[in-house]
Amino acid sequence: MKLKEFLKDKRVLLLIVLVIASIGAISVLGIQQGLDLKGGSTIQIQLEKPVDTATMNTVTAVLDKRLNIFGVKDVKVYPSGNQNVIVEIAGVQPEDVAKIVGSNGKFEAKINNQTALVGSDITQVKTYQVTGTQWQVPFTVSLDGANRFAQVAKGQAGVPVEMYLDDELITSPELAEELANGNPSTDVMISGGAATKEEAQTEAKSVQTLLQSGALPVKVKIVGVSSVSADLGDQFINGALIAGLLALVVIAAIIILRYRTPILVVPIIITSIAELILVLGAAAVIHWNIDLAAIAGIIAAIGTGVDDQIIITDEVLKGFSEKKGKRRRLAGVRSQIKGAFFIIFAAAGTLIAAMLPLAYIGFSRGATGIGVLSGFAFTTVLGVLIGIFITRPVYAKFIEMILDK
Amino acid sequence: MITLERFLESYKPLIAIPLVITIISLVLIATMGINEGIELKGGTVVVIELEKSVSQNELQSIISSTVPGQQVDVKSINNDQATVDITGDTDVVKISAALKETGTITSYRSVGPVLSAESMTQIYYALAFAFIFMSITVFIIFRDVVPSMAIILAAISDIVIAVGGMSLFGIPLSIASVGALLMLIGYSVDTDILLTTRVLKRKEGTITQRAKDAMKTGITMAITSTSSMVALYLVVVFLIPAAQTLADIAAVLIIGLLADIMTTWLMNLGILRWYTEARQ
Repeated sequence: MKLKEFLKDKRVLLLIVLVIASIGAISVLGIQQGLDLKGGSTIQIQLEKPVDTATMNTVTAVLDKRLNIFGVKDVKVYPSGNQNVIVEIAGVQPEDVAKIVGSNGKFEAKINNQTALVGSDITQVKTYQVTGTQWQVPFTVSLDGANRFAQVAKGQAGVPVEMYLDDELITSPELAEELANGNPSTDVMISGGAATKEEAQTEAKSVQTLLQSGALPVKVKIVGVSSVSADLGDQFINGALIAGLLALVVIAAIIILRYRTPILVVPIIITSIAELILVLGAAAVIHWNIDLAAIAGIIAAIGTGVDDQIIITDEVLKGFSEKKGKRRRLAGVRSQIKGAFFIIFAAAGTLIAAMLPLAYIGFSRGATGIGVLSGFAFTTVLGVLIGIFITRPVYAKFIEMILDK
Repeated sequence: MITLERFLESYKPLIAIPLVITIISLVLIATMGINEGIELKGGTVVVIELEKSVSQNELQSIISSTVPGQQVDVKSINNDQATVDITGDTDVVKISAALKETGTITSYRSVGPVLSAESMTQIYYALAFAFIFMSITVFIIFRDVVPSMAIILAAISDIVIAVGGMSLFGIPLSIASVGALLMLIGYSVDTDILLTTRVLKRKEGTITQRAKDAMKTGITMAITSTSSMVALYLVVVFLIPAAQTLADIAAVLIIGLLADIMTTWLMNLGILRWYTEARQ
């Protein structure tokens, strides 16, 4: 087989197209780095008991709002299972995290500098209503709270109710007339007006979240904090690159020593690099985060890839040495390659089977506990699939070509 | 002179070698126990970029003052980087204030008891199901009880010896090292499948000849995988000591891959030969 013929092979063309597409995807979309590489923090929060989806949504919305109030940008809050919440903050120094999560979101409503309500008074916050440009947020308070509010609010209709979260003024709607008559009521309402309907909606929503943040439906507790600075993340990336290069050099040396055919090194190295590009390209397209665990997965996939290439090489060499005559040789090589692929598919099947439980935990629970390894499972499986279906067949063709002189 | 062929002919006593090492590993695990990483026992790990040189003792006393009653263990200081383990929950703000003159915190990781207990359960499940799924796949591929069991037994031995090595060298059981153990299942089964396919499904040559061919391929595979892990280990130890978990992964895989050479070519091959001879 000649080089021209090799390049015309369907699988070879597919690989070339996919590698170019991946490079395009990586350069256009970029690779999303995990927090352990670009620097940032992951905070794991546990609720006091398992909750339903609606409550969980309230909890994540409230936490998200709280973090936004503190001016934290680029923050992701998402549930993990029915009892855990994960908060991811990008680009924050480890020292700042504790300040942010350590604040307990203390809510206070003051009228004329007198505390009327505190977070623990609020028992339930109802959905806001918007009529035209007017908005209302109804909520209920405990009896104690109702009494205190009635006293402070007596005769103060029209005076602003200043609402603080952790001593920071957030909003100050006016006190409604019916709340200023001195009679305690557990059903309270904050109302206000805005210039447009949209603004009214936003304002109402923010007040609702604010009230809720004083009254998270369940108690929460921080169970884990993990934080990496951007400098250290860069060190991790450089270290991984150096380790990868060194591993390739070592593998090349072993291949040369074993087969005494330096040219064999070329396809093995090219295949490994192609696999790396394809995995990263796929990750770029689906916006998969590449973190340290994912890098370990890529290393594992490329490692098994090199193993598979050694199997193919040995089988092909065997087919060549056993058969005489050009045509019979080629037939022998083809059947040996088939044999090699049986082993390769079987090995890939077992590896993927072993990764499934990890992938399942990762997808169902997110990055709590062992879920941080989901990136590892995902890139391993992806790399192995790309290997057995795309790059390994091309490698086999290449070996055929260079032996068939 | 003992040639490789002669060596392979007397296979029955050789099966005992990996078995004995597996049992020794079990004894090691039972007596010495396994270190648990902070993800599993709870606690805090802080990585500090040092601005001036301090001794291990100085650093320890600086941090101890912020966490009275808790145990502070300065694990390593090199390349201006220090890694410190602290038992229990800590306040990172206090620690960073105390370190103001000495250095800055580049990585902070704290795990409470609730999360660590949960992770432990998940690890048992992940390992157990990985094994079950792998075994089912092996049975589907070979549809023959003894060869499949031989592969699974070899994989179990690899894992047990790797865990034994962790116990011996004090490598902590962590989420990352569990990843390494799962990776090991994949690597270990590779060579076993190669061996079983070559010995049982091929017809040309004697069994010894086929086994020898398979061994040539398998050992090359083992050498490349082991040396790339050695490369990773050395890079982490000398260039990025803060990525200790990567070094732990590499170390676990090196032990497991070396064990795999034994379990595949002494135990799995031995059982296969025994089986083919008994069948005839």
